[in-house]
Amino acid sequence: MVKLGIMSFAHLHAYSYAHCVNLIPEAELTAIWDDDKERGKEASKQYQTNFVEDLDKFLSLPIDGVIITSENVNHKPMAIKSAEAGKWILCEKPLATTIEDAMLMINTCKKAGVGLGVAFPCRFLTPILKAKEYIRSGKLGTILSISCTNNGSYPGGWFGDVKLSGGGAVMDHTVHVADLLRWMLDKEFDSVYCELGNQMHKGILETDDMGCLQLEMEGGIQVSHIASWNRPKSFPTWGDVTMEFIGTKGVLYLDAFNQKLNIYSDFAMKTEWGFWGDNPDLGLIQDFVNSIQEKRDPMSKGIDGLRSVEVTVFAYESYKAGKKVKIKKSKC
Amino acid sequence: MNVGILGCGTMGRLHAEMAEKCGLKVVQCSDVNSQSGKDLAKNFKAKFVKNWEDVVANKEVDIVAIATPTPLHFPMLDMAIKKGKYIFCEKPLCRTVEECKKVIQKAEKAKIKLFVGHVVRYFHEFEAIHEQIKSGKIGEVGFIKMYRGGMPPQGKNSWFRDFSKSGGVTFDCMIHDIDWLRYIFGEVKTVYCQNLIEKNCAPLDYSQVTVRMKNGVLALVIGTWAHPSGFRVKVEVCGSDGLMYYDNMETPLEVQLREQSKVSGTIVPESPVIKSPYQKEWEDFISWIKDGKEPRVSMYDALKAVEIVSACLRSAKIKQPVNL
Repeated sequence: MVKLGIMSFAHLHAYSYAHCVNLIPEAELTAIWDDDKERGKEASKQYQTNFVEDLDKFLSLPIDGVIITSENVNHKPMAIKSAEAGKWILCEKPLATTIEDAMLMINTCKKAGVGLGVAFPCRFLTPILKAKEYIRSGKLGTILSISCTNNGSYPGGWFGDVKLSGGGAVMDHTVHVADLLRWMLDKEFDSVYCELGNQMHKGILETDDMGCLQLEMEGGIQVSHIASWNRPKSFPTWGDVTMEFIGTKGVLYLDAFNQKLNIYSDFAMKTEWGFWGDNPDLGLIQDFVNSIQEKRDPMSKGIDGLRSVEVTVFAYESYKAGKKVKIKKSKC
Repeated sequence: MNVGILGCGTMGRLHAEMAEKCGLKVVQCSDVNSQSGKDLAKNFKAKFVKNWEDVVANKEVDIVAIATPTPLHFPMLDMAIKKGKYIFCEKPLCRTVEECKKVIQKAEKAKIKLFVGHVVRYFHEFEAIHEQIKSGKIGEVGFIKMYRGGMPPQGKNSWFRDFSKSGGVTFDCMIHDIDWLRYIFGEVKTVYCQNLIEKNCAPLDYSQVTVRMKNGVLALVIGTWAHPSGFRVKVEVCGSDGLMYYDNMETPLEVQLREQSKVSGTIVPESPVIKSPYQKEWEDFISWIKDGKEPRVSMYDALKAVEIVSACLRSAKIKQPVNL
């Protein structure tokens, strides 16, 4: 039995991950730690597990791996503490808010001999796997251009507090697509130009809430990406992940979550989309469980987290500089 | 009033139809391809003339409608201004900013009424988007995504495929969306463009343009001549209190015929409405001539549009943002 713990329910994804752990027969959600006692207790009730208030006590439990779903800036201290306690780690994205933090996390895990994974559940979305297959098959020819979106609604709370989030929509919604493209094409990002703003919430957010990136990948592939919190409260769903690939032999359009029912309910008084596709989080958590059993890194490794953090960090750099900048890749 | 059509391709034919709908008579037409010229002449009971100069010089012709490849616009405009004609010119006004400026200067001096076909301003769906924005339904607009295009221009010898002439999808096609953004949100501050011109894969082109308006509004405009089929227009407008989305694939009519129709020429999007946007732009032009009512598009707007798309091409070349 693989024993898992969840550290913090600050990020909403924690609830889905907890649910998935309970679905996997060879895994057990042994304990929850949260610096918000109320929240942690509530979650422990919901998922029928123990709440441990003291962090050191939590890490001294016989758990094999931890899922870190705290505020972005807290990933680093939690990961380091967990690594030093010998725990396998699955960290919510973005891995860190700075390149230095990401490097430190990777190096600490390496030294401690524990696996480090980044929660990129999109890699486990069935339509994305199918798209990757098409692209790798060569049916589209050489990929020339790609236009992507990762739109969402403003998650609220700490996401708008730059001291905890490290940034806004660009911080939150660049890394998924950056990771997917690196993984699907097996190519790195070379440069980025970024424009951003915060008008989606009448300028009340100190962070950005809309970003438009123009990137170049190895081999001169031209990529645009919208990273935003532009979905209003009335929108039928949380957001999207879309990609249009232009190849010399064909094109592929991917709307990754477009497996949905249109629901018109008088109880909700807004149109809702009910998703019926495969649950990507289950694949993510299953892979984490397997990685512990097989003593390996999870599928999206620390370096994958780092590379996507670099894209984000240099996007902000580009906006500050008002020009396209090179994406420097750190060695690790 | 009598109309002379220069360029008898898809757009020339469309403009001839619109001129007739406005109660004008198409008297002459010209095209280097004498077959399409003669076909059009036959359909409209007009006279096919080999040299376009003769159409422009003809005293019977009051209105010259220019629908030729973009690089030909300048000499045609130049002569039509000299001859004191009313002019309907297909967009883009000219291939370069300098040509546009010269033409405008001459038209101003000669007090010529020169209309440029930035027809998207007249599309019902775009008018509806404009109305919704003005009504405040979605709050203050912060971000817009626009998407336009489909197949590369068909026909092996199509001039569109020579990007030095057409400017590719950015210059020829996305000028519509960029003009519309400027029409609704004001002047453009910065553009950043990536396109396939330098990749030498013509007729394929795919262009992605970041547009930052002076008022802070941000837009991403995508244009494609890279799809194997279809023609798609999508607009998404994001505001502080809502979002609206238009997709031309959502239509009231769907027809499929068992006998596959041959596709040729440039695809002209059709809205199943009583009055087409092309007719609306012609009526606007004619009412300018007849009643002096300023049309929705000025020649200065047309110049600005060329300035912005030229900046896009420059950005794509130097791979850096370009300020307007």
